[in-house]
Amino acid sequence: MFARVRDFIRVFWSSAVLAKNALFNWLSPPMWIMQLFSISLFQIAFFVYVTKYVQNPDISVTYVAIGNALQSISYVTVFAVCNITGEEKQQGTLVPILSTPANRMAMFVGRAMFQIVNGIATAVIALFYAAFLFGVDFSHADMLALGIVIVITAFAMTGFGLMLSSIGLYLRTSMIIANIFLFIGLLFCGVNFPVSYLPGYLQPISYGIPMTFGTDAARAAVDGSSLLGISGTLGLEILVGLVALLLGYLMFTMFENLSRKRGTMDRY
Amino acid sequence: MTRLRALTSSFRHQMLHFFAEPQWLIPNIIAPFVMTLVALMLFRNSSGNFVLYAILGGGMMGMWGNTIYSSGYSIQFDRWNGTLEAVLATPAPLVWIIAGRALWNALIGILNAVFIFIIAVVWFQVPLALADPLLFFLALFVTLLSLAALGLVFSSAFVLTRNANVLTNGLEFPIYVGTGTMFPIAMLPAWSGPLSLSLAPSWGIDAMRYSALSGYVGLDMGYWGDMVMMIILAFVYVTAAFLLFQKVENRVRVKGDIGRI
Amino acid sequence: MSEIRPIGTEKVIEVTDLVRVYKSSQGFIHKKKKETLAVDRISFSVKKGELFGILGPNGAGKTTTIKMLTTLLIPTSGSAKVLGFDVSKHPYEVRKRIGLIIGGERGLYFRISGRQNLRYFADLYGVPRQEREKRIEDVLRMVDLLDRCDDRVEDYSRGMKQRLHIAKGLINDPEVIFMDEPTIGLDPQASRDTRKLIKDLLVQGKTILMTTHYMFEADELCDRLAVINKGKIVAMDTPRGLKSLMKDTCVIEVEGFGLTDKDVETLKAIPGVRAVSATMNEDKQVLRVQVADAGEMLAPIAGRLSGSNVIDMKVKEPTLEDAYLWLVEKND
Repeated sequence: MFARVRDFIRVFWSSAVLAKNALFNWLSPPMWIMQLFSISLFQIAFFVYVTKYVQNPDISVTYVAIGNALQSISYVTVFAVCNITGEEKQQGTLVPILSTPANRMAMFVGRAMFQIVNGIATAVIALFYAAFLFGVDFSHADMLALGIVIVITAFAMTGFGLMLSSIGLYLRTSMIIANIFLFIGLLFCGVNFPVSYLPGYLQPISYGIPMTFGTDAARAAVDGSSLLGISGTLGLEILVGLVALLLGYLMFTMFENLSRKRGTMDRY
Repeated sequence: MTRLRALTSSFRHQMLHFFAEPQWLIPNIIAPFVMTLVALMLFRNSSGNFVLYAILGGGMMGMWGNTIYSSGYSIQFDRWNGTLEAVLATPAPLVWIIAGRALWNALIGILNAVFIFIIAVVWFQVPLALADPLLFFLALFVTLLSLAALGLVFSSAFVLTRNANVLTNGLEFPIYVGTGTMFPIAMLPAWSGPLSLSLAPSWGIDAMRYSALSGYVGLDMGYWGDMVMMIILAFVYVTAAFLLFQKVENRVRVKGDIGRI
Repeated sequence: MSEIRPIGTEKVIEVTDLVRVYKSSQGFIHKKKKETLAVDRISFSVKKGELFGILGPNGAGKTTTIKMLTTLLIPTSGSAKVLGFDVSKHPYEVRKRIGLIIGGERGLYFRISGRQNLRYFADLYGVPRQEREKRIEDVLRMVDLLDRCDDRVEDYSRGMKQRLHIAKGLINDPEVIFMDEPTIGLDPQASRDTRKLIKDLLVQGKTILMTTHYMFEADELCDRLAVINKGKIVAMDTPRGLKSLMKDTCVIEVEGFGLTDKDVETLKAIPGVRAVSATMNEDKQVLRVQVADAGEMLAPIAGRLSGSNVIDMKVKEPTLEDAYLWLVEKND
């Protein structure tokens, strides 16, 4: 039992280190930092300007700025994580790593770990933009609560991303799924407008994505709500994230077996 | 003669690849499509003109996204295939090869835009009444050419470094903001004006608005002014591209790193 | 080469003091600059109709040399001319007239068919429009790919891909063909077919420069060979000439099972042993020991191996491989 836990941790850690090294071999640190700083900036800018132009009384600049700041986590957690399997397939390393006895969960969650850190950093920077460039008022904000929202959202969305990457394992492309879900977030997660704007039959989708709860909680925290006040929302977010992770793991095992039967594992 | 043949055969080559795997279009339809829907949601309490405004913006984003994405992707695709060296070893100049591909990608840009138009119209049931259809399609056509030219410029960065996809990812949103796809450029800070105006899509969207929305007042130069600016910019881009490609090709031969994925 | 072929006097490839340095930097904050001397002042020339081989271990500079001659790399110094055109100054002229076969798994557009690949390159090489389809059929027939030419390349086997590489390299009917390890990764049948094709091309009057590290292939095909190691040419001659470098050498071939690397080291340490090459298969090992006098050395060798399982010991003629080995080891 102890040996298995130890192996798990080992696989987990070395997958995380591998992911970090792989990222920095591909993307030099200056480029990475540049990406970190620019991704959220223009996205927030875009929607802030549209909001200002349209002047819809329901939706303020603050609403949009905070929403997009949180949503920027998706670039890293959803997009990058989802593409993990795609990259492995493309490099041809999927077959070799799946032929090891290493625990799959440890491997993939380990690789995603770095993106969680990435995601948190992205969101924090985005919130700085919101405060200093777009004039969002943080004077009443509960910073602790806000911080916790970010961390939980990063984890939950990574779980979501892992679920998507499992789907990508089976289909020939995780790139398309990653793209779809990256931007679906803009529509469904209460980022730029409340979920209530969507037609009734689509709203359940929103509540299946952890980000929806995250944007809500973030706005409440910026407004001054304490951790206690948003604990219900956060609890739901954690739940949805865990369900996604579990689903992802189940799908992963299922798809692994299916692709072993059908021989589709290294078809890119 | 080789040059023209390189152009036409690369156009055909890109077309073949497109039909081999058309689903690769999806990634660069999704972003502008979703953005359009979001904008339409935001605009929903506004009057009819606003909606067409949003749809035009979405179409432009679709075309732009396709240009920047495909110009980069086609070079990266060659890198992954290992064919970049093979292509470099032919007597056909690289810039003409990429130009052929850029033209095809621009054409697909229309598909992008049309898709967005159709879905937005069907979903939101907005009557798509263009003020002057002929001028509109002319504006669309010229915009596409200038986008292809701009894509050509960006491609040179990709020959230089495999990391250039940071450029594509990084430029997507700034361009949506800087070219005023969903709001007037006038709203942006004054210092960004020259930057915005150096990009063809800024003039393109303005021309399309002039020809589609009756009573629209945009940039001072009016519709024909916009068109002239786009043509001038296209020439500038193409010239820049030729110069860049010469430099870039030389550099990769000196450094010898083009074969690395 | 047993066939009589016309080898002209005009020099089709001329390389003079060619140097290539790669510069790279690693690390982000403390940049470590590294300079690698890949090709160190090599000179040679190839006549029309010749098959010139370049032999060497991995990393010796073979591929770098070919890339320079095919205009993919600019030399750091020195000059290289193909058909009279300088590769740095007139790359366009060079590219028009040469064919390049750098094979492998990559280097083809795998989502389209073989024929479509050839069509594209035919256009890029400027093959006259009217001739294009016929030329494509001709090269496909030459490499025996006509039946599968309309299938997607991603469905081709390794051997088929290599054949398509060759077809692609011939699509512009080049005067000079550069081949980088053309039979690597091919099964014996495919390798044999490739070698036959190479001979046919020579009969047609084409000039070929080929890199390889298969000795028997170099021996069988090449008119002249250059052995390259660590960026320098250590020997250049006909295969026979190179073999004659070994005229004072005998080879004792030891066959055994259970022989290990330790045994190889032991043999190398025996005074009088010039070099040892080993083929270590699971069930059988073959060691080729190069010595000056087989008569004298049989006993010491047998003695050092007395504990191991030796099946047979024979005295053999040195081959090109032995010559190569000796040259490379001597210059290490």
